[in-house]
Amino acid sequence: MSGQLAALSRLRTRPWIWSFLGAALVWALAVILAGGHGAWSVITTAIAFSAFTVLVGLGQMFVITLGPGNIDLSLPANIGLASAVAMKVMDGSDGRIALGLLAAVAAGLVIGIVNYLLIRLLRIPPLIATLSSSFVIRSVGISYGRGLQIKPPLAFADLVVARLGGISVLAVLVLLLSILAGVVLARTVYGRSVLAVGQNIRAARLAGLSVRRVRFLTYALCGALGGLCGALLAGFTGGSSLDVGAEYLLTSIAVVVIGGTSVAGGMANVPGLWGAALMLFMIATLLNSSGLGIGVRDLMTGLIIIAVITLAGGRRSLR
Amino acid sequence: MKRLLCGTGIALLLGVTMGAAHADTSGKRIALSNNYAGNSWRQAMLQSWAQAAKTAISEHQLAAADTFTTPDKEVTTQAAQVQNLILQGYDAIAIDAASPDALNGAVKAACDAHIVVVSFDGIVTAPCAYRIVVDYKKMGEEQVNYLATRFPKGGNLLEIRGLAGTSIDNVIHEGIVAGVAAHPQFKIVGSVEGDWDEATAQKAVASVLSSLPPVVGVVDQGGDGYGAAQAFAAAGRPEPVIIMGNRQDELAWWKQQHDKNGYTTWSATIAPGISSLALWVTQQVLDGKTVPHDLTVPYLQITQADLDQALKTAPVGGVANITYTQQDAIKAIEANSKK
Repeated sequence: MSGQLAALSRLRTRPWIWSFLGAALVWALAVILAGGHGAWSVITTAIAFSAFTVLVGLGQMFVITLGPGNIDLSLPANIGLASAVAMKVMDGSDGRIALGLLAAVAAGLVIGIVNYLLIRLLRIPPLIATLSSSFVIRSVGISYGRGLQIKPPLAFADLVVARLGGISVLAVLVLLLSILAGVVLARTVYGRSVLAVGQNIRAARLAGLSVRRVRFLTYALCGALGGLCGALLAGFTGGSSLDVGAEYLLTSIAVVVIGGTSVAGGMANVPGLWGAALMLFMIATLLNSSGLGIGVRDLMTGLIIIAVITLAGGRRSLR
Repeated sequence: MKRLLCGTGIALLLGVTMGAAHADTSGKRIALSNNYAGNSWRQAMLQSWAQAAKTAISEHQLAAADTFTTPDKEVTTQAAQVQNLILQGYDAIAIDAASPDALNGAVKAACDAHIVVVSFDGIVTAPCAYRIVVDYKKMGEEQVNYLATRFPKGGNLLEIRGLAGTSIDNVIHEGIVAGVAAHPQFKIVGSVEGDWDEATAQKAVASVLSSLPPVVGVVDQGGDGYGAAQAFAAAGRPEPVIIMGNRQDELAWWKQQHDKNGYTTWSATIAPGISSLALWVTQQVLDGKTVPHDLTVPYLQITQADLDQALKTAPVGGVANITYTQQDAIKAIEANSKK
């Protein structure tokens, strides 16, 4: 609830600063490696791709903030199914873009609600519940989409890749959404409840919060964001694909953790998502341009992520 | 390889062969063990299998040819599936395997139970199994050969690799390296991992584009060409000659570019219909024919001349395909026996 100035003065102790520093460092290395070429275009490309990572990262962040054990592993399957739903509903027609987006978000919402029902009614731990629901979702996706790559309407594809002065328009929209998410977390009853539940679920319950409703809303929100991401990705990559979300299982969790959100819950960090997403893309750029073998690249990615988490985590414990 | 045939296998083969030159396979049941169905290639593969199965059953060549697909790409799930198929008493298992060696235990168990195992696309290395592959190495070489006809003076190339750790990725890569060695005017200036997936390839290519010098061609493995094209377009760079992999969206993009500015390229990949070939080869083995354990069949290529025809027959969002017949299988077996 502190003011902007106070927040600025505490900048250095904020864990999310590390992800941005990491991103800047890796960016500098990549530019040096490329002999000074493409410094600006690396940034704009990273921003364009980070929009998707942040979108799912936001949902995952809310879920993880709910406290230990809370996680959504159904995101990749959700994204894949939503991409097919969106493209089928849009049917290549510009007039049906809004309808398709709505359908994809609705599909994601249903998935999120089902996830919560599994957790709540059958008392399955979220890890298992969302993992098993992702098998169901994937099977639904296979029979629904038949694995075909359905093309987006032209206007939708143009919209998703559109850039103003080099900056992806979509990324700006996602940035606005992240600011909104930050405000929701800090200023609304729902947001504060998510933090309270994450900090101490017993205390939250005793304080009169409806823990069930908070968790229900959070899983539904995460599902809906996944659905939205699926629709946008289908437009961005030029067609739906059940595999389109595959990389977002680890990435969605990695950006949350690298970004400084507490894995133990109760403390979320929105700006860190952007720093982490940018950094992950910069790492890919650096390693892809380095000409190293794939094994070495994967090894380096892992080591860099561990280094940043250690730095960010170490800083946090000092506070 | 033949000496490695387990004793029981030889006994089985001899027994069948001696019983009759043409054993009756009308009572035989084949199972297809498949480890994934989530992309257009796999869907087309399953359709081709179903089509061939329908023909085989209606012609009384087989009693059943059932399909079993695991929901994920995990080796353990498929190994368990193969064990189940053994218990269900199938006479033969055709398999598109998740791993070349991790399933060998289950495959060996099937062989020991006198079940014929024919692997295709994703092959298994167990000596008792049959393998149907396309010449991926040549496919890699041909990409560079084609580019050499387009750019006699050579130039820079970007390579998109497939799924790391798979035999297919390694072999195509070796082919490309061999092609570049044969045409030293070309230089691979960048290599990224595309996982045979348009979205992954798009992201990977976008991540290196800004640091790359101009490239004249993109050599890849199929299912990644359209993603690469998207990345080049987004970066505002001229499209190089991108080798395609027979996906309908790749072909449609190629046609669109060709109509616009005469863009020409070359496309090749393993036809999903290789499953139908596997079905007929399995039937031939059950029939007591002598079949070499390693069969190489041609890949399906599309040139500018074939483009319109290929686009007409490929389903929207699918992949260009051919479904093989029993005659094709017999021919393939003959061609490989001569070697």
